[in-house]
Amino acid sequence: MEFPALLKRGATAGAAGGFSAALVMWLVVEPVIRRALAVEEARSGAHHHQEEPLVSRTVQVWGGAVTALVVGVIFGVVFTVAFARLRSRLPASTELGRSLVLAAIGFGVLTLLPALHIPANPPGIGEPATVNQRALIYVLTILLGLLGVGAVLAADRFLRGVMTDPVRVSLDVLVGALWVIALLMFVPESPDKVPADVPADLLWEFRLASLVQLAAMWLVVGVVFGLLVDGRSRRTRRVARSTA
Amino acid sequence: MTELSPATSATPLHVPTWAWALALVAVFALYLLTQENGALLSASNAMYLHELTHDARHALGVPCH
Repeated sequence: MEFPALLKRGATAGAAGGFSAALVMWLVVEPVIRRALAVEEARSGAHHHQEEPLVSRTVQVWGGAVTALVVGVIFGVVFTVAFARLRSRLPASTELGRSLVLAAIGFGVLTLLPALHIPANPPGIGEPATVNQRALIYVLTILLGLLGVGAVLAADRFLRGVMTDPVRVSLDVLVGALWVIALLMFVPESPDKVPADVPADLLWEFRLASLVQLAAMWLVVGVVFGLLVDGRSRRTRRVARSTA
Repeated sequence: MTELSPATSATPLHVPTWAWALALVAVFALYLLTQENGALLSASNAMYLHELTHDARHALGVPCH
């Protein structure tokens, strides 16, 4: 399959993933955000608040949904490039399998890893003064995670032929695990403290809801991309061959 | 279990240069939507973008205030 055809499928899968994310956000995340905003409002005088909000809550909910959708398409595009490049290294025998493996890697490195190190917070927790520092930690976590994938791939290539497959795969897993442990230990943590008036269950539910939303996105991207690439490729090739 | 059809044999697909450029643009757009807090845009524009994408930033787990 030529790249433009692949990209079309990737963008479609991304849109489907983004739509699922927006749906989950509306159903699961927004109710928790509303609870967090109530906590924030109950906090009197502790924080300076703008008299008139720049953007109304309604616009924020819609803006959030549209953002989730657009982010899905963006992930679809990048997913396509990664899939094209890494195709031969993804341990599966079908395109659907490879797509699902890549989605699992994406979820692990781009979602789960930052969620473990610098987890999502509902409104009313982040300190505005530290937002750039937290953004740096977040990006650093992801970049080092991607580097970890490179390290595992390099280890895998190095060990191929040197030892039996089960030993090689086990060592790959070990390299990945050690990388994640080192990353979680040595990358600086968020400087923010969770205020005492934020209930623990609210925090936990928000983080879980955030993970569910992102998991939905990755799952749908992986499945839809895999199905589109797996099924259609044969059909278009047959047509191409008969017209050639 | 290995696929015998050449269409499903696992070789890397060629990624044209424009596609790499597109991926870069996509990542930049992702930055604007989720991370921009005044590094590139003026403070008021950045604040507006931040508020507009606010809920998604929280939900996607990106640092926000």
